[in-house]
Amino acid sequence: MSADPYNHAVRAYFANTEHCGDVPGGAVGFFQDQGMRVRLSAEVRDGVITRLLFRALGCPHLIAAAEAVCRQFEGQSASALEQFASGQIMRELAVPVEKTGRILALEDTVRSLGQAVQDRLSTTQD
Amino acid sequence: MPGDSDLIYLDYAATTPLDPAVAARMQSVQSRAYFNPSSNHIGGRRSAAVVQEAAEQLAALLNVDPTSIVWTSGATEANNLAIMGAARQREHRGRHLVTMRTEHKAVTDVFRQLEKQGFDVSWLVPDEDGSLPADRFEAALRDDTQLASIMHINNETGAVQDIAKLGAICKERGVLFHVDAAQSVGKVAIDIAKVPVDLLSLTAHKFYGPKGAGALFVASGTPLIPQMFGGGQQRRIRPGTLAVDLIAGLGMAASVAATRHQDDLRHVAALKSRLLEGIRDIDGLQVNGPLLGGYPGILNVGVADIDGESLLLALEPLCVATGSACNSQSQEPSYVLRALGRSDREAQSAIRFSLGRQTSSEDIERAVEIYRNAVQKLRDLAPEWVA
Repeated sequence: MSADPYNHAVRAYFANTEHCGDVPGGAVGFFQDQGMRVRLSAEVRDGVITRLLFRALGCPHLIAAAEAVCRQFEGQSASALEQFASGQIMRELAVPVEKTGRILALEDTVRSLGQAVQDRLSTTQD
Repeated sequence: MPGDSDLIYLDYAATTPLDPAVAARMQSVQSRAYFNPSSNHIGGRRSAAVVQEAAEQLAALLNVDPTSIVWTSGATEANNLAIMGAARQREHRGRHLVTMRTEHKAVTDVFRQLEKQGFDVSWLVPDEDGSLPADRFEAALRDDTQLASIMHINNETGAVQDIAKLGAICKERGVLFHVDAAQSVGKVAIDIAKVPVDLLSLTAHKFYGPKGAGALFVASGTPLIPQMFGGGQQRRIRPGTLAVDLIAGLGMAASVAATRHQDDLRHVAALKSRLLEGIRDIDGLQVNGPLLGGYPGILNVGVADIDGESLLLALEPLCVATGSACNSQSQEPSYVLRALGRSDREAQSAIRFSLGRQTSSEDIERAVEIYRNAVQKLRDLAPEWVA
């Protein structure tokens, strides 16, 4: 019998994608290729992420990781987005090595969202 | 993961549960006829009689002589023995072979191996519904063609090939004809007396028999080079001590199928019709394989822009198969669906429902509900493709 490829955390996030959606008018990070798509959108007030939502097309690990990212960053400083490293989430979700590339693509998307947030902040300050 | 009691099993093309009569027969043989059927004592003769009875049961289902049955461990071994054994036996006459792109791996991988050994293989592409036109098949045959191997019922799509017509062409051209009938024996009527087949592979576990038992029908006068060595059993074509209890189970499964397969066909046809009716209005739903004329126990459907692996998880507790060969190591979309003209993205979302004797109407109603909800959930999750 093949082992369950999804640990409890993956199953829990996948079953409860409460951060699925788009923040209207929010800053956006986006990635796509033939195998996957992920879009993050955020509402930021006073440098703090008040809402972070995702949409994703891909495997369960990607969807779970996107949900985990949203839960992790809501209430955090937006500046943390650009520093995001996916190692912790990969460990929590026990991401198999052949799917590492997808989670790294999500990492890039989080960082690009951080850049988009910073661009907006600097535009506002100008 | 869902518990066993919650599972809704709709993967009968992968394997089937043991028929109770098969289980009883095997249990009886395990306790009463556990002897080596090659032994010369009374116990051995008892086991040999069990094997003989199983051969007669299977032969009756196929309408062949019992001596034409060679026992194997399953269809994979039977396919290997048939294709390798026939191709190598006739290679002095020619090295051209014919098969289809949509065959099971147990066939395609054997042909790939023969290609490495210098054989020339023509890989035929079926029509979009999975069927192979006879004229395309005939056009592929050459003067040096020695063997053609065409599956009867496709395991992914349920497409049925006209083996009677293709076999007649082979007979006329002097080409050996092998049929991988793993998905059809015990499910649809096959009368080999009326179908010109030289070699036919089957496996017990696809028709309510045990795993680990299969057979190869070898028509009289069809020499094969053995692929295994080590004893004189089965006229040296396939040596090794016979698994008497498994063979008895195969025989009983054949006997049950002989009386039940028409009822089984009507049963799965009604269920498939209801299943398709319940999901066909889903936007973008595509049926992979024949809408009409295919084996009614298999329905393969896909919807664009859905990841097959996520769909499979969202479908739990349904036990179904993805159209992708995806596992943790590979995300390669199904080569069968690609051969039917499906794009990688279409093939990725394909789900095969396969129905059987124990599938109930309630199972189908639940499957409709779960499939619709899963597709909706994943569509809600997916962002738009940005051109």
